[in-house]
Amino acid sequence: MESAEEESLLGLESEEEEEEGSELSDGELQEAFTKGLLKPGMNVLVDKSKKLVNNVEGLKQCLADFRKDLSWVERLDLTTLPVKDALSQVEGKVSTETNGGPDAEDDFQREMFFYRQAQATVLEALPLMKMHDINTRRPDDYFAEMAKSDQHMQKIRQKLTAKQMILEKSEKAKKLREQRKFGKKVQIEVIQKRQKEKKAMMTAVKKYQKGMSDKLDFLEGDQKKGKDSSGGPSKALNKKGPSAKRKYKDQKFGFGGKKSGKKWNTKESYNDVSGFKARVAHAKGGQKGKKGKQNKRPGKSVRKKMKGRS
Amino acid sequence: MAAFKRKRGAHATAEKTAKKVKFVVDDGNTEQDAVNEIVVPAPVSMGKWTNKERVLIFSSRGINFRTRHLMQDLRTMMPHSKADTKMDRKDKLFVVNEVCEIKNCNKCIFFEAKKKQDLYMWISNCPHGPSAKFLVQNIHTLAELKMTGNCLKGSRPLLSFDPTFDKEPHYALLKELFIQTFSTPRYHPKSQPFVDHVFTFTIADNRIWFRNYQIIEEDASLVEIGPRFVLNLIKVFQGSFGGPTLYENPSFQSPNLHRRQLRLAAAAKVREKQTLKEMQKVKRTAAKEDLETDVTADVFLTPAEDKPACIQTEPPEPQAGKKHKFKPSKRQRQQMARR
Repeated sequence: MESAEEESLLGLESEEEEEEGSELSDGELQEAFTKGLLKPGMNVLVDKSKKLVNNVEGLKQCLADFRKDLSWVERLDLTTLPVKDALSQVEGKVSTETNGGPDAEDDFQREMFFYRQAQATVLEALPLMKMHDINTRRPDDYFAEMAKSDQHMQKIRQKLTAKQMILEKSEKAKKLREQRKFGKKVQIEVIQKRQKEKKAMMTAVKKYQKGMSDKLDFLEGDQKKGKDSSGGPSKALNKKGPSAKRKYKDQKFGFGGKKSGKKWNTKESYNDVSGFKARVAHAKGGQKGKKGKQNKRPGKSVRKKMKGRS
Repeated sequence: MAAFKRKRGAHATAEKTAKKVKFVVDDGNTEQDAVNEIVVPAPVSMGKWTNKERVLIFSSRGINFRTRHLMQDLRTMMPHSKADTKMDRKDKLFVVNEVCEIKNCNKCIFFEAKKKQDLYMWISNCPHGPSAKFLVQNIHTLAELKMTGNCLKGSRPLLSFDPTFDKEPHYALLKELFIQTFSTPRYHPKSQPFVDHVFTFTIADNRIWFRNYQIIEEDASLVEIGPRFVLNLIKVFQGSFGGPTLYENPSFQSPNLHRRQLRLAAAAKVREKQTLKEMQKVKRTAAKEDLETDVTADVFLTPAEDKPACIQTEPPEPQAGKKHKFKPSKRQRQQMARR
């Protein structure tokens, strides 16, 4: 009787242990421990592993029944390892391929693995096919229906060319930007150089005027250099970009950030001669550059008025 | 197209020549008529097509556009395929066998869509042979613009398998099934005589990856044509669409279970955050209570010794003047204070 009770208890307890999420009371655990079911230490509930079918014999039998013994020409199948990747060998990459298949997460490696497997098959199959007189290249005058329509292939071609154009445009834009930056630097340097020469020239002239030096060499130097640098200034002036007013407004209001409190008599601002206008500085071209009347004479009515007053 | 026309023409001329022959025999005419006739030879495939494989490709109801396109692409790629109307889900699966028999097909590829989300594919050898059920993922069809290759419609494919297929018995069975299903029979009337594309089946991450490449040059430069998909094996059965299970994939997780796990993970995260918040709340409210009484305040208190009560009976004596004799001036006093 007692043994039967014990067994039933045992049975119950063992079932409870296997059930997921069942909470065993302390009393039951103690009883199980005394009976030797539980050992001291951490006892963890473990899932009974599902028994999955793997009927190897059945599979083999089925395969034997199912196989069709066709000649290779009918089936055209091959089992090959992928072609050795020369690049990865050179770089000494880890070959996960020996573990059976590529790394499924790394997209590029995986696709390259499939590609190389196909390549290996093709390379192996070509001589075999030649033996059986099967071609992979069709003759140029063989026109037949293709799997994808011509219209579709046109679409693909258009997309590819569009992509290429975009790439090219972006490359060009980048180059232009680089050139412009470079060009600006060159322009500043040229202008500075000219300023220096001018200064030197003026000092030489003054010296001569004051009688400190007798030589008139500075004149000749000016003539030589004048011929060379005639084309330069016009090009440089064309690259002004946005007008000075725009630039000032941009500097004051545009592009965010704190404007006041910054340094403003820096090397760059000193070297920046874009605000320099020779005409204004030297008071040249008084009345629209020799356009319009010099000493504009007032009109008849105004003259009459003046006459009338006096 | 050209091949098809030729075939038609060939049949017609075959009949014509047969008739002419009769006529000549009856009337005893000269060979002039026979010489004037342009005899087009019968197609090469006449009488040579022995491997009669026919694959029935169809689906159940409730498939989405991608699956439909995949089915159409497979039909394009396999000239030995036949199409059928959608099967009602009310019918049991073994009805498919009957459909195949009606259509005189010995292989079948059946697409089943569940919940408008999951796509299952059955590949089976129809009368008695084995069948397999897969979960299809990562479908890309022929029409995708990134697949730039093209091939002849109905040209025979090369099949390429991973060596892993030979290692396990269930993979070996699957390999045989794929070979018989996907390879176009030689001299099939709708097939083209050239081999210009290759199907690859590779095993990675316990799944079968399918790719289709076009062979451009003899030096094995390839371009992908499509379609492409990934097959996750669920079970292999001994019979067609039923029968005893031969193999179950241990690493297969049903998509429902997968989604459930994701949801549980998300829920667990939220719950953790909530519990953290609650704990912080409790800490905040609990901590305030203890600050009123400092437990350690009594540690350094030493009770003073009791002094004997001393009662002064006499008044204290007057103290000597504390007047500074040498008191510093106000200014000096200020300076000292500053220091």
